[in-house]
Amino acid sequence: MNILIWKSVSTLSKRTALLLLTALVIQPLYALDYPEEGDFAQGTKAWSENCARCHNMRSPSDLRDDQWVTSVFHMRVRAGLTGQEARDILTFLQGSNARVENIDPGQVESTTTDSASISGKQIYESNCLACHGANGKGSIPGVPDFNEKNGRLSKSDSELLSNIITGIQSPGSSMPMPPRGGNSQLSDTDLNAALKYIKASFSE
Amino acid sequence: MNINRVAKTIVFAVVTSSFSTAALAEPSVEELAERLERMQQEMDQLKQQLKNSATKDEVQVIKKDVATAGEWLQPDTLIHMAGYADVGYTDSESEDGSFNVGTFAPIFHFQYRDLVMLESELEFEVGDDGETETNLEYLTIDWFINDYMVLVGGKFLSPVGQFRQNLHPSWINKLPSAPPGFGHDGAAPVSDVGFQLRGGFPIGAIRTNYAVYISNGPELIAEFEDGEFELDGVEAEGFGSDGDGEKVVGGRLGIIPFSGFELGLSAASGKATVTSIEDGDSSTLSDEGARDYDVIGADFSWHYKAFNLRGEYVETEVGADTGSGTAASEGATWETWYTQGAYRFNQSNWELVARYTDFDSPHNSQDQQQWAIGTNYLFTNNFIGKLSYEFNDGQAGSDADQDRFLFQMAYGF
Ligand code: HEC
Ligand code: HEC
Repeated sequence: MNILIWKSVSTLSKRTALLLLTALVIQPLYALDYPEEGDFAQGTKAWSENCARCHNMRSPSDLRDDQWVTSVFHMRVRAGLTGQEARDILTFLQGSNARVENIDPGQVESTTTDSASISGKQIYESNCLACHGANGKGSIPGVPDFNEKNGRLSKSDSELLSNIITGIQSPGSSMPMPPRGGNSQLSDTDLNAALKYIKASFSE
Repeated sequence: MNINRVAKTIVFAVVTSSFSTAALAEPSVEELAERLERMQQEMDQLKQQLKNSATKDEVQVIKKDVATAGEWLQPDTLIHMAGYADVGYTDSESEDGSFNVGTFAPIFHFQYRDLVMLESELEFEVGDDGETETNLEYLTIDWFINDYMVLVGGKFLSPVGQFRQNLHPSWINKLPSAPPGFGHDGAAPVSDVGFQLRGGFPIGAIRTNYAVYISNGPELIAEFEDGEFELDGVEAEGFGSDGDGEKVVGGRLGIIPFSGFELGLSAASGKATVTSIEDGDSSTLSDEGARDYDVIGADFSWHYKAFNLRGEYVETEVGADTGSGTAASEGATWETWYTQGAYRFNQSNWELVARYTDFDSPHNSQDQQQWAIGTNYLFTNNFIGKLSYEFNDGQAGSDADQDRFLFQMAYGF
């Protein structure tokens, strides 16, 4: 009898451990099936144009994916955003709140080939422009001016590229640069092309 | 000689390989039996292994467990808590300085998919007497009808103007105090109970946002002074019942012609009735007439790089009561406007703010002109330390005339 109880307890604890483990493991993989997926690039733009109207820009990394859902819906009501704008902004925020690099080799590889033909300019315009501005001066507070002498672009290319890939928040900076500009679909090659475009267009 | 050796090797290889294929092609009966035997053994081994490993059913159970373990992560209902809190220190000319816990205002969000959201903000304040006051700042059920419309029902922050609905939380307000006339019991309505339709729609490249509402409207406070009644204040704080049965309708239209600039126009109109007497016995009131109640407002906000300029004007006008009511009196007008400029230093956490307000009430003792200047340190974008000084100009000797020094730490979460 005793043995039976012991057995069931140990299997129970094993099960719980298993459950906890799987919960931990699948956490980064989960995705809400609502609202519908928005457009990332539109979202970056709508975010930079709307989310500092009333208060300081809240950094994408402030909240978790599911927390952003409620906050964005809250803000949709406050700010009078359209449903589409809210979905786009949500997609941008959920894509940009990662602190560490998103390990998803399947995704990266599949896009490397078909986006290799996209130019650095196009990548910059649809992914980086909302924050960094068409002139590279930065369009929202907290984003550095690329044109500055001895500014950010004086760092080595490899350092810049790795900061773009992993994201960076310098000491005292009010906003982090999200990993891959927030778009995990961009491959290292894409980002390198965008960096080349930045260097060619903005450094004096 | 080398070549000879290579040739020999090749010949040898070809011969052996052809022999072995011949052997494969025509296996003897014994060989076949032997192979069968071996396969039998392997099968038995496999069977044994299968017994030790999980069965299909077991796998199914684990799969289910995993699914339920993840259930709280992908639910149809989301629960979220946000809000803000502030603490500070105030020192005014006529009083000794004191520390204060300004507010603790938790916000609860419950959301069912993209259909409906409940939002509610409680406000806890510690009064001068040490008592804790609790207020339901707002409680609404927001139904997302379609991409352009949200129906908001309940007690909501007044959509008139920007300050009350969008700027008053302490982590948002760039100064520790509300501009005179925009606090509780001033010129600008605070909250209301009713229904509101909100949303936004683009007109070409122009963004617009709108809010229209119908509500119980405010109640009025009368005051007995110099032998007669006069209007003391408008309590536009969201009454849960409508004493006079007269509704108020109103709204705001915001236009964003280009990103960084917003212009808003607001109005509200309806009836309001005197329901209480300041420092008096409200039960003596009878036959109070419903008075005209009209509010108009305009606001703008302009962001240019690290510079933000905004301003707002609100006027509340209450008509006369010509009936036989106890507190029948003339009408009265409350009017206020402010302009605020803020500059955030490039790549630093420091921000400078200046605000000018001119509040005009029917009572000279409440009139106030104010210059407020401040320095803010933004630890993060939602955790802010504020230091400010107010130059207040009002009727000599009144509270409205006392300059103040304020310090506040505000955290929005
Ligand atoms: C019309 C003004 C306005 C705009 C525009 C606006 N906000 Fe807010 N935001 C507020 C107010 C007001 C609060 C505080 C809520 C309260 O106290 O009731 C707030 C609170 C928040 C919070 C705190 C958590 C919460 O849900 O309360 C986050 C995060 C936030 N906003 C993000 C955003 C984002 C992202 C955008 C762009 C889509 C945005 N805001 C646009 C007014 C605005
Ligand atoms: C959400 C806004 C945002 C987006 C989108 C964005 N950036 Fe940034 N970026 C920033 C901010 C903020 C910084 C400064 C961060 C810091 O140093 O704290 C930055 C910094 C940088 C730097 C300098 C890094 C360093 O080492 O100093 C480079 C290069 C850069 N971004 C490139 C890009 C590229 C390329 C893209 C598009 C793929 C992009 N950014 C998209 C906000 C953004």
